[in-house]
Amino acid sequence: MADRGGLPRLLAQRWFAPTFGLATIVAVFAVVEALLRADLLNRYILPFPSDVVLALGRVVTEENILSRMGDTAFEVLASGVLVVLVGVPAGALFHRFPVIRAALETWVAALAAAPVVLAFPLFLVLFGRGQKTIIVISFVYGVAPVLLKTLEGLSATRPVLINVGRSLNMTSSQMFWKILFPSAIPSIFTGIRLSWTFCLVTVVAVEFLVNLGGLGQLINDLAERYDLPGTYAGITFVILLSVAFFIVLERVENWLQPAP
Amino acid sequence: MAAARPIGDAPEPSRRAVLAVRAGVAAACLVVWEAISQSGLFFGDVVPSTMKILASFWKLATFDGFWTHLAVTAGEVVASVAIGSVAGVICGIAIGAEPFLRRAYEPILHYLSPTPRIILFPVMIMWFGIGPESKVALGALSAFFPAALSTSAGMLLIDQALIRVGRSFRATRWQMATKIYLPAMRAPVLNGVRLGFGLAIIGVLLAETKLSNKGLGFLVMQFYSRFDMPTLYALLIVLFAMAGIFNALIGAMARERR
Amino acid sequence: MASPSDTRPGTSGDEPLLVVDNVYKRFGEGADATIAVDHMSFGVKPGEFVSVIGPSGCGKSTLFNIIGGLLGEYEGEVRIGSERIMGPHPAVGMVFQEESTFPWRTVIDNVAFPLELRGAPKSERLDKAHHFIDLVGLANFEKRYPSQLSGGMRQRVSIARTLVSEPRILLMDEPFAALDEQTRLLLGDKILQIQQQLHQTTLLITHNLTEAVQLSDRIVVMTYRPGRLKRIVNIDLPRPRTSEVVGSDAFGHYVAEIWSDLREEASRGMLDAEASVARRGARG
Repeated sequence: MADRGGLPRLLAQRWFAPTFGLATIVAVFAVVEALLRADLLNRYILPFPSDVVLALGRVVTEENILSRMGDTAFEVLASGVLVVLVGVPAGALFHRFPVIRAALETWVAALAAAPVVLAFPLFLVLFGRGQKTIIVISFVYGVAPVLLKTLEGLSATRPVLINVGRSLNMTSSQMFWKILFPSAIPSIFTGIRLSWTFCLVTVVAVEFLVNLGGLGQLINDLAERYDLPGTYAGITFVILLSVAFFIVLERVENWLQPAP
Repeated sequence: MAAARPIGDAPEPSRRAVLAVRAGVAAACLVVWEAISQSGLFFGDVVPSTMKILASFWKLATFDGFWTHLAVTAGEVVASVAIGSVAGVICGIAIGAEPFLRRAYEPILHYLSPTPRIILFPVMIMWFGIGPESKVALGALSAFFPAALSTSAGMLLIDQALIRVGRSFRATRWQMATKIYLPAMRAPVLNGVRLGFGLAIIGVLLAETKLSNKGLGFLVMQFYSRFDMPTLYALLIVLFAMAGIFNALIGAMARERR
Repeated sequence: MASPSDTRPGTSGDEPLLVVDNVYKRFGEGADATIAVDHMSFGVKPGEFVSVIGPSGCGKSTLFNIIGGLLGEYEGEVRIGSERIMGPHPAVGMVFQEESTFPWRTVIDNVAFPLELRGAPKSERLDKAHHFIDLVGLANFEKRYPSQLSGGMRQRVSIARTLVSEPRILLMDEPFAALDEQTRLLLGDKILQIQQQLHQTTLLITHNLTEAVQLSDRIVVMTYRPGRLKRIVNIDLPRPRTSEVVGSDAFGHYVAEIWSDLREEASRGMLDAEASVARRGARG
């Protein structure tokens, strides 16, 4: 605090707070490292953070990471595309026919809140142990948000825009493609972001639970080998990768929002 | 006929039509299910007839140890929601009250929140053993994030007019906290707890299916390995129903009087 | 001046209860600075109803927040009696422009809120709250929640909640801004009636000309940026008044007189707003 006002100015910088937040995480790791070295924490359940960082390189180079990422990416993408192909038209259908909406919207909302992953043994029996099963679970889990958000976006079209269309004598299909659908796009993409987030989490979880290909299995493998730093490094790697995935999804969604 | 339907002022669908659609969809599902079940397309009991599933509910209720397993899981879920929510609400208040802390930590919580939780289970086992403690730890971690994020977002959304009312009547800090902030945040806090509850159920049960010797998740894997499909269906239906009921209950608490 | 039947404690001659003395408030620094209130002075005597009127954006709300003690840093002085206002003062009761009822409390619990803060016993809380709810005409709605009431009814709840704290000065910031014209006139009647019953010293901030003339003993007209005092108009309409006064010739005369002052200010405000839109358009 050499010059007065220096600290407040630093605190007000846009980058300072997020950097400070990340720095606390690093600091926590440093403290853990020190406590481990001082034998105040149990080395058999907690590896040295420095070892984990080193293991990160090993996990990335020695564990077929590319092919694992490919498996996981394929499953997420396949279920993600299915979710959109089914969810968006279904949402439009619900919007077009108010009876269907009134009858089934609460059912779909219930599906969205239901812990579908718990039924994974069922899906294993129905569809066999393979990527197909993972894609189906991920699809069932992810379809509801896209459907509901499509419906929400279509219903939220401002009535005055609809009246504009009616005054121009637009047909139903013109009305849908030129007014309803464009105005619903931001909401639809919110639904897609939510769904794809669910899809990734579900895919990794099921891979881990049933020990089947991909990044989830990586952690299982490392844990079963009692590779302590490796397990922590694998978990860190998967978490960082999913965070990157969420950030990309969010960026795309923001980019698609209408300018303020 | 091709004219645009007046979407804005379409009449409310009649109650009877709605019920008819619901009944129709439910009946169609049942018929398709029975048809698949009878057709023999799937092996053995993979798609059991509905009658068989209904009969299994009784089998499940009288199953040796079912109620003990239910109690274990319920206890784990309640403990994890309690621990995770309390910790989450405290962190959420701290982050929400101080703009610097919000900018520093909210992005971290926001991005970590949806990451797959179950992959931390091996670590939880190392720390807490294979008993209920590791399941509670995983469930608490699942419940923590929504509670923290929802609370801190809720603090930002408190109507400034209400805060000015409190100040204009010269409410003390304690009175501001108990009479304005807390009641105003009831809905977001309860909503965070509700979301956390859903995630905690998933966390606890998935952990039980992975490695345990008690609880409903353990029971799921038992029926699975014995290939007792009708009872597995019954158990899953019970689980979904319980999750749905609790979700609706907490949701109703959050909405009450608003 | 006032009608012979008027027994309010002297409308003239008394020392003012509230004094706004040379108050100055600026926001921002250098070229971006806006002078919201520029050396304003006036007083409100006991029992008097004074309105401050000015175009949107003239700094009325800043003045409201300063007098209410919610805006601590300003130059000049606001005094209650001889005491300078440094923060929310118990003698001042504020009614806000925005929706400010507590959605989680019933009408009676909303109104009893200030008494609860003070730690008053339950029976006293209920008695007083009941009395003021009756006064604003909501006797049958005590157990309702704000969401079950109309906008005008909710604003009456806010007014009752402030009155229950028995403020020496009632300070209101456009309390009827969100309401339609008819509701506004009828609520004005309610205010006049309460005013006559309680001899409540009141300062009303508004941009609505009809409302100001209908209710006030005096009207303080403000200029648009910087917010200066343009002039003070005495309204010598007979009391007790009702909204019927709106049809009278004298009323029309006052409205026309004040509008000629305001028109110039309001059109300056409008030009200013248009210019800032144009600037924003040119930038992005």
